[in-house]
Amino acid sequence: MSVLPYLIAGWLFVIGLYGVVSSRNYMHLIGCLTVIQSSTYVLLLAIGYHEGRPAPIFSDHPSGPAVDPVVQALVLTDVVVGAAVSALLLTLVLQLKKRRGTLDPDELSPERD
Amino acid sequence: MNLIPVAVIVPLLAAALLLALEKVLPKRLADGFALLVAIFVAGLCLVISLETLDQPEAYWFGGWRIQNGVVLGIAFVADPVGAGVAAFAAILFSGTFLFAWGFFGDTGTRFHVLMLVLLAAMVGFCLTGDLFSFFVFFELMSVTAFALTAYKLESASLEGALSFTVVNTIGSFLMLAGIGLLYGRTDALNLAAIGGALDGHQADALVAMALVLILAALLIKAAAAPFHFWLADAHAVAPTPVSVIFSGIMVSIALFGAARLIWTAFAPLDQVAPAFRDLLLYLGTFSSLLGGLACLIQRHVKRLLAFSTISHVGIMLVGLAALTAPGLAGMLIYLVGHGLVKGALFMGAGILMAECQDIDEIRLRGRAKHLPLTGLTFAAGALLLAGLPLGAIHEGHHLISAAVEAQHPWIPLALALGSALTGGAVLRATGRIFLGLGPASNGEAEGPGKPEHETPGRPVWLMLIPILSFFAVACLAQGPAVTDTVLDLAQGFADHDAYGQLVLEGGSGAREPSSEGHAAPEAPSSPILPWVSVLLALLVAGLQLLRERLPAPLVWLSSLVLRPVFQGLDRLHNGRIGDYAAWLAIGLALLGGAFVLP
Repeated sequence: MSVLPYLIAGWLFVIGLYGVVSSRNYMHLIGCLTVIQSSTYVLLLAIGYHEGRPAPIFSDHPSGPAVDPVVQALVLTDVVVGAAVSALLLTLVLQLKKRRGTLDPDELSPERD
Repeated sequence: MNLIPVAVIVPLLAAALLLALEKVLPKRLADGFALLVAIFVAGLCLVISLETLDQPEAYWFGGWRIQNGVVLGIAFVADPVGAGVAAFAAILFSGTFLFAWGFFGDTGTRFHVLMLVLLAAMVGFCLTGDLFSFFVFFELMSVTAFALTAYKLESASLEGALSFTVVNTIGSFLMLAGIGLLYGRTDALNLAAIGGALDGHQADALVAMALVLILAALLIKAAAAPFHFWLADAHAVAPTPVSVIFSGIMVSIALFGAARLIWTAFAPLDQVAPAFRDLLLYLGTFSSLLGGLACLIQRHVKRLLAFSTISHVGIMLVGLAALTAPGLAGMLIYLVGHGLVKGALFMGAGILMAECQDIDEIRLRGRAKHLPLTGLTFAAGALLLAGLPLGAIHEGHHLISAAVEAQHPWIPLALALGSALTGGAVLRATGRIFLGLGPASNGEAEGPGKPEHETPGRPVWLMLIPILSFFAVACLAQGPAVTDTVLDLAQGFADHDAYGQLVLEGGSGAREPSSEGHAAPEAPSSPILPWVSVLLALLVAGLQLLRERLPAPLVWLSSLVLRPVFQGLDRLHNGRIGDYAAWLAIGLALLGGAFVLP
């Protein structure tokens, strides 16, 4: 099996984390967080993939070997969770912008507590 | 009817009901309703715990079990320890709902809804026997906690919630990736099935990586250094009733989850990496000291308590990292004792915010003299945190120290020092706020800009009820009977084979009564250590309060040594999410490195 998807998953994780670490804008930071999340999608789908097997949908063709539906279910759950978290984060950022007028961590950090 | 799933379904249904009927019901009804639900869940979990005392019980959702050796369904596995921790969580929630009576006045029922969902997630987290639903409950716990942190929608709470959310969400992704890898290796999500697939195999790099990822996620939740940065930001700004739950159970429950995974699924762990165990021991010890030191420079009382939580969870991590049943028993007793005491202290801080309309130690100096009972509870809590040989915290601390003493004789000393520092910091705050001692300003970090306050005019006696009852339980839960019972339960919990048999073969899973008796903890090498630690706490508090009366050279010398340390600590905890994420990456590298290095 190809090692490429695993490399991509690793790369997405690293580049996303780099984005979070170096971000200068909270909106951008949330984007980077979803990049990290994509790495888990790629990883999970790669784990369940089998070369040449069809999708695990048996309504239109006879049942037989297929790619693993369990990881796909996991990914679906994760997509839902991710959507909830992103929505929440965007709300927080929106409220923060309203109250402080900026989303730059450098300008925000002095007035903490 | 099987009771096990009911404990999760009831709070979820109650939350949905409350949300649906929000517009119709009288405003104040939510307080009482949520309290009743929490008490009901506590009772239910206690019943489950007692019923499974001799024999843990598996519940398969929808009746889907195992066919041809493949686990088809999702299982809850109720055992006395898991159900006991769930019951403890529900008890904390009950106290918190009582404390929060009238707190949210007319702002609707959102607080109660979120709290009930959080309770359901915690109960599910404790009872589940399936790795993926473990993740789902973990995530449900996180998301409700994010929303609760930001509840006040002020700029401080928004920033705290942001760093909390970002760091913990990265943690969730790590856990999911780890689960994926583990599933790729074992073809199983059921914890017992994973354990069975890993049994007898040397764990390879893939399993090691999965373990690192999953443990890292749990350590982020448990705020072990260097994953701890989000905690102080979040716990300090959340509404006080929420902080009670966060510090009391949400942090330590992650360590319980780690214990569950280690003993059900990762039983081969200690063949793999003694180095890994050592690293966890060091991280726990380091957290304990770091949290204690950081406590000393806080003047925001809730932030101070948050740092002390980091310190005490570090001690629990040491108990877990011992990877023995007595260590685990110590961790469990400590979890209960610390949860009660820290919850009560946060409630005390809540009384200050309601009655004095501030939470800044310096500005509050001498302003709480009219609240003697609250002051007494603060002092008592400080002494218990410092290690006073009384009650559950001491009992747990003793077991944990005994579990690691043989191999690392210095760790009990470091843990005692960490406790002493947190106790000293709380004592200092008590002296200044309730007695008006000490200078009106000193070396603590910059204070909060404007006074933070919470709903005034709530009856103080009502808020004192949960505080006093928490203290009573925390002090009374001690003695050989408690220790022996928990040791026995911990041994059953750590029985990897019995768990596998119970779930996979439907076997009895009944524990054989340990014939040779459990390894009773030896007498502490130094029974005076707790007293030394209490004395040290008094000394720390005294020195900080009496700074002005000390000889000048002494003050000069101490500030020469300590100032750089404190400034460095303050600079590290700077509220910058990017820095926190960088520390997370470093921590992850450390965990991974422990496996790679011999």
